[in-house]
Amino acid sequence: MRPGDDRPLLTAVEEARRRVRRRRWMIVLAVLAGASIAGYLWFRRNVDRPVDYADIGMHFKYGSIGSDNPVRGIPIAIFKILPKAFPQHLPPGAPRDYTAFGFVQEPGQELPIGFSRRRFVIELAGLNCASCHTSTVRERPDADPVVYLGMPSHTVNLQALFKFFFDCAADQRFTPQDLMLIIEAETRLNPVERYLMRTQAIPQMRTVLLAQRDRLAYMFEPGRAPAGPGRVDTFGPYKAIQYRFPMTHLPARELAGTSDFPSIWNQAPREGLQLHWDGNNTSVRERNFSAAFGAGATPATVDIPRMNRIADWLRDFPAPRYPFPVDAALAAQGEGVYRRECYQCHGANDFGANGRDRRETQVGRVTKLAEIGTDPHRLWSFTPEVSVHQATLMAGTVERLRHFRVTDGYANLPLDGVWLRAPYLHNGSVPTLYDLLKPADQRPRAFYRGNDVYDQRDAGFVHTVAEQGGRRFFLHRTHDDGGRPLPANSNQGHEYGTALSEAEKRQLVEYLKTL
Amino acid sequence: MPFDPIFRPLTFPSGLTVKNRVFRSNISGRFDNYDGSGNQARINWETKFARGGVGAIISSFAPVSIRGRIIPGYATIDGDDKIPFWRAVGESVHRYDCRFILQLSHGGRQQDVAGVENQMRGALSSTGEIETFHGLVAKAMTAAEIRQTVEDFAQGARRAREAGLDGVELHGANGYLITQFLSSAINDRTDEYGGSLENRARFVMEIVRAIRREVGPDFHLQMKISAVDDDNAIFPWQKRGNRLEDSIQVCRWLVQEGVHALHVSTGSMFPHPRNPMGGFPIDEAVRWYDLMLSSGVHTHRNYFIFRSKLLRPVFKYLWHRTQEPPEKIEGANLAHARAIRDAVHATNPEIPVLCTGGFQTGSVISEAIERGDCDAVSIARPLLANNDLVNGFFAQGREVPQEKRCTYCNRCLMNVLENPMGCYELSRFGGDYDAMIREVMTVFEPKPFPPAEVIPLTDLPPQAAPVEVRP
Repeated sequence: MRPGDDRPLLTAVEEARRRVRRRRWMIVLAVLAGASIAGYLWFRRNVDRPVDYADIGMHFKYGSIGSDNPVRGIPIAIFKILPKAFPQHLPPGAPRDYTAFGFVQEPGQELPIGFSRRRFVIELAGLNCASCHTSTVRERPDADPVVYLGMPSHTVNLQALFKFFFDCAADQRFTPQDLMLIIEAETRLNPVERYLMRTQAIPQMRTVLLAQRDRLAYMFEPGRAPAGPGRVDTFGPYKAIQYRFPMTHLPARELAGTSDFPSIWNQAPREGLQLHWDGNNTSVRERNFSAAFGAGATPATVDIPRMNRIADWLRDFPAPRYPFPVDAALAAQGEGVYRRECYQCHGANDFGANGRDRRETQVGRVTKLAEIGTDPHRLWSFTPEVSVHQATLMAGTVERLRHFRVTDGYANLPLDGVWLRAPYLHNGSVPTLYDLLKPADQRPRAFYRGNDVYDQRDAGFVHTVAEQGGRRFFLHRTHDDGGRPLPANSNQGHEYGTALSEAEKRQLVEYLKTL
Repeated sequence: MPFDPIFRPLTFPSGLTVKNRVFRSNISGRFDNYDGSGNQARINWETKFARGGVGAIISSFAPVSIRGRIIPGYATIDGDDKIPFWRAVGESVHRYDCRFILQLSHGGRQQDVAGVENQMRGALSSTGEIETFHGLVAKAMTAAEIRQTVEDFAQGARRAREAGLDGVELHGANGYLITQFLSSAINDRTDEYGGSLENRARFVMEIVRAIRREVGPDFHLQMKISAVDDDNAIFPWQKRGNRLEDSIQVCRWLVQEGVHALHVSTGSMFPHPRNPMGGFPIDEAVRWYDLMLSSGVHTHRNYFIFRSKLLRPVFKYLWHRTQEPPEKIEGANLAHARAIRDAVHATNPEIPVLCTGGFQTGSVISEAIERGDCDAVSIARPLLANNDLVNGFFAQGREVPQEKRCTYCNRCLMNVLENPMGCYELSRFGGDYDAMIREVMTVFEPKPFPPAEVIPLTDLPPQAAPVEVRP
């Protein structure tokens, strides 16, 4: 209004209209923001929501850790029909379901143990902790299997499962047209689900699987020993999928990190020990995150509260007791042998007194590769580059992984529940505890993995049976035809107690059953 | 004579005597100069009604200040330089033994077109709230602005007297500034001009006192008041505003302060569904409401509604939901007038009460006066339709034939925004559009600079058909 005032001159109505318009926009924005928040909350609460279980055991077996996310999760309607739709890609003679890969199917459950489910418009499945850390034991071939939570999933062949998925995705019949026929015979879909399944889920699953197949192609190159059940190359898929390392350019010795699934009970006493086979991290929390990312969670989707529920439970979850008869006298003698031969590295396994163990023994510390002498490939697979990349996980949050370090050997682990942790050594190359007490060149060079019948004499799983009840087991070979140790499969090293007398070995094995 | 009461002279306490009981109610038309100086057309306009026989004319809306205008093009009374014009109007009207009462007015926030002088300043009102129909904006008047405005009214009265006019009327009805103070639906002040009825009436009382101070007790002063506000007539969620008993109390106070007559209307805004009651010609609104698009914050909304076939029924429902059926429009305010007259006459039986609202039937007017509902009626729209309602019909003891009656279509009201004021009801002209426009244009005769020989347009024969010339 005043001379020199360079604001545009507006009439009183224009000023008012401007105020009204501004207020109207504020209202519109506020309403939109409110609606978005409400919609988001509603979506999270009603649509994007994993199925939860009150019972912690059920949660461990079937609960979500965030791998059932829309990027990595598998639509359950597709998951269910794949073995029926593509039986030709299953292992020969295997049943047409996921027990073909050693997964445990409990009666009344739609998914096998180790798979969580999330409602995300359509239902998605993802791997969880139990995929690799729950399995079964049978007393005799005709006995009912007993499920043990937290033990290594010694029957689960993850690599074969992924191979199966990749083969399905590459199959020319992996199309919406073909799959929808089978899906709709099994699952009732509403029109929205049907539309999403046709236009999104099936094409996207195929795309993702084919991309992953390309990233992981190095695993399936001829001449590379397959992992077999109970084992996984922990950091190989990390490098290939998470970090997009150029796998074909990596040195061969980095590419064979296959190792056994570990047991995951008694986590509280393990805090601060060198964890993972090579002892590359001392934080239970970071080790948990790292494992969750391996199972398909991402830093954006990892379900921290639900993971913490499991982590808290596992802190004090005890190792299962040996369920078969033990010769107590023999075991008592074996304890003396243990004290002499094993205690210095593995500790007393008395977690109540682990403070003393930690002071007096080398438990939870790394023994140099040159001394332990076991297969080096797992150690070599965790390179400084991987270690640096691990430190980028959860970057920008308090959860950032900060403790990964490259080591120079393998860690001395506590032996709680060691009877369930067969086959032995980090790479599962020795079938029983008794065999482990043999000099390396006398240990079995070929044995079958994946049988859950327990070998009560030698402490391990039955490993000499090729087939049982129509099930073919995986032949693990430690050496090639020329007698050269196979990368990641060698049963060399850890030649401790090999000089014990036969009687002392039996005493020691009997004692180890009781841990 | 069948309509005898109509022709009984009416004498006011001021001494003003009117020859009959038909007043031309205040109606404006944009005939004057932008700056408020008067024009020949205004003189022509008022003279038409005087010639037609009404006893008195209440002038067009005459703003006491430029800021109090509704729209440019109405003659104002905002300065002494306007006195000669109003004197000319008065003299022209007086030639027909017709009295002329100047309506002292201030639109407040009801400013349909602010004009370049006002548009940056904003309209004055009792409130700073935005008006709800057009979204007209206002600022709440300061005490100084109130004092100045009161003085403007007083000076307006003085100028009217100096112009030789017969009296003044305060436009205290229909949502203009005085209503904006009186109405409990509009006035949201917390000072001594808001709150209680007494406080809300303070503004008009101060005006009355100031006028009395300026022109003495004898100069005719009347007040037009809305008997009820019905501020929720369109939007039912709004407050109702003043009730009849509030207005009766205000009228009592006004009479005590020396107001000589009361003129009863209705409604808290103009136009209001119940004033002028009747149609809302949306086709005309689509043509002429565009003038107001820049005037309020809701005008685009309204114009969109007028143009939208889907929303029109909603608007029509809201606008018409509180109206009387067409046959009850005539005299719809009589009950209110009667109540006010009874209340005022209890103490001051000499105070005449005028009533407005659709009057055009001689018998209805006569009976209303005989019954004592009111002392006189004021008429606008039916007089636009039939300028000679008194001389041409009532004086001859006959009613206006059906096809010539005002239909209350309100096309005059909508056309006033952009066109000369007049009757735009085509059916009254037998569908002859050119005849209708010729009638409207008679207001411009005689012209301000007449040619040597003046032939009034009305005396011209209808336009001859063009002659086809063949070689």
